[in-house]
Amino acid sequence: MLKRLLLGTQHRGRLWAALIALCLGTTLLLLSVMIWWNFNELLYGKGQDDSLGSTFLIIGKRVTDQNMGVPNATIFQPQDIEALKQAPQVQDVGVITSNHFPIYAMMGGQLPLATDLPLESVPDKFIDKMPADWKWEPGSRDLPIIVSSQFLDIYNYVFAPSQGLPQLSQSSVKSIALNLKVGKGDRTETFLAHVVGFSDRIGSVLAPQSFIDYGNKTYGNPGVPMTYSQVIIKAKDPSDKHFADYLQQHDYATNSQNLRWSKVRAIVEVVTSATGILALLLMGIGTLVFILFIELTIAKAQASLTLLLQIGYSPRYISRFMTGRFLPLILGTVVCSMAIAAAGQWVAAVNARTQGLNLPLLPGWPVWAALALSTAILLVLVTRSISAAIRK
Amino acid sequence: MQLSLHGVVPLPLRDKITSTSSGIWKQQVSYNKGEFIFVQAPSGTGKTTLIHILYGLRKDYEGTVKWGDNLLATTGDELFADLRTGDISVIFQDMRLFPELTAWENIDIKRRLTNTISEEQAHEWLDRLGLKDKKNSSGATLSYGEQQRVAIVRALVQPFDWLLMDEPFSHLDHANTQKAITLISDVVRQHNAGMIMADLDANNYFPYTKTILL
Repeated sequence: MLKRLLLGTQHRGRLWAALIALCLGTTLLLLSVMIWWNFNELLYGKGQDDSLGSTFLIIGKRVTDQNMGVPNATIFQPQDIEALKQAPQVQDVGVITSNHFPIYAMMGGQLPLATDLPLESVPDKFIDKMPADWKWEPGSRDLPIIVSSQFLDIYNYVFAPSQGLPQLSQSSVKSIALNLKVGKGDRTETFLAHVVGFSDRIGSVLAPQSFIDYGNKTYGNPGVPMTYSQVIIKAKDPSDKHFADYLQQHDYATNSQNLRWSKVRAIVEVVTSATGILALLLMGIGTLVFILFIELTIAKAQASLTLLLQIGYSPRYISRFMTGRFLPLILGTVVCSMAIAAAGQWVAAVNARTQGLNLPLLPGWPVWAALALSTAILLVLVTRSISAAIRK
Repeated sequence: MQLSLHGVVPLPLRDKITSTSSGIWKQQVSYNKGEFIFVQAPSGTGKTTLIHILYGLRKDYEGTVKWGDNLLATTGDELFADLRTGDISVIFQDMRLFPELTAWENIDIKRRLTNTISEEQAHEWLDRLGLKDKKNSSGATLSYGEQQRVAIVRALVQPFDWLLMDEPFSHLDHANTQKAITLISDVVRQHNAGMIMADLDANNYFPYTKTILL
């Protein structure tokens, strides 16, 4: 009876319009949070994949006409590294250790290759795609190495076609063994190197830190302290002006590709922020339309409402009744929005994987938090507007 | 529950009341539960205004009105709802039924609020007032007399200490008036309640304990 008296004049078309407006607003809000979070995960996340533009940069001291040939001019001193750790946006600094001992690589079979091979090592936490078998201990003959993806590209697209050699996939390269002769004169050791991974972040050939340390200690120049000409840093936002100024002031050089990606990231952030503001506006409009619909419904039932109050119905009881009627609609709308957002996340994750990017299949916690917050605000606003309209 | 009025003057009638004498307006009076008060009021003297003030529908008056310890001028909506479901019931002069609901639904929507009167009892009261065949008729299609009888039953399907009546039989013939008087008397007696009956002319519908000229 209460439904007939209070909601009998409810216009179905208007109800659907209000629900669709609310659903659209909520969906856009969730999608914008989702987009922001996904980019955030790709850009700042703890994942190993940083191919969208790394926050990792390799820094070296710029070689100029003035310092060219000056001993140790481009070497990082301990105080330089300490200062870098305190620099704006810098979250972590790792030294790149290069081999200070001779390494000679030889390959047989269809790919006759014999060359001096420079190796480097970085702390494991700076490796973008950590292979499972990334370890070496003194006495082991097998040496895992990681090769820059760019090397394979240069081989496949430049060297192999010009020399009439077969192109190689990543998996086929991993099956090739490389003989490494370390040391000189009578003091040599041979190792069997296997490519176990490719890096988008490091532009050289990496060996485990333990191997480089062993080689430098065993075959390096005794008495000469270890020096580092490059460091790898993890920067929160390399596009930050203070960070760029810091690099310039200290005459540090870096790979500009990363900074270019940083600009892309800055643009992405602006776009997602703008989308978020637009979504908030739409959510606000959707909520307003829905509340106006409720107020209109109550206004149209004013005569019945007045008489109900006169015969003893309490405003609180009627408010609860009205809220109970609109609550399932609101929750249904919110669930619908969340389903759309979850589907969007799933599609985004599947598509991202085809691009080599890792995104979770389910929306992240900020999306759920936005859902909970927006639903709570919506419920408070609707409850208050119902209560106010009834007591008016 | 005692009803107390102290210096009550409805604002729209202020000029008129100051020039006449009244048994209620501007007076300090109190009535106890169980009293049968008849308020005789010629047209325009504020009979309906009094009932509406006592029922809390109007607040445009000077003075104070109290139901027990509840000062009506400061009583909130929720407390009014409590008073209207447990302490005071009313038969409006203009009936005030829901035209969208049937005769039975108009009663049942009130009955369900407290659920102190069974459906069977309410049906029986409707039958006693000759509305057996009108239970499923829409409120909008009932005659004034039928509406008035439905309004009477609606006022009785709740517990109350006081029953307020504003010309409750104005649309009823003699036979139906007698049936309504009997029913109201029975129910008021069951509740040991009091009544305030406002009407134009003197009558002996109920054994009044006080008669007041408004």
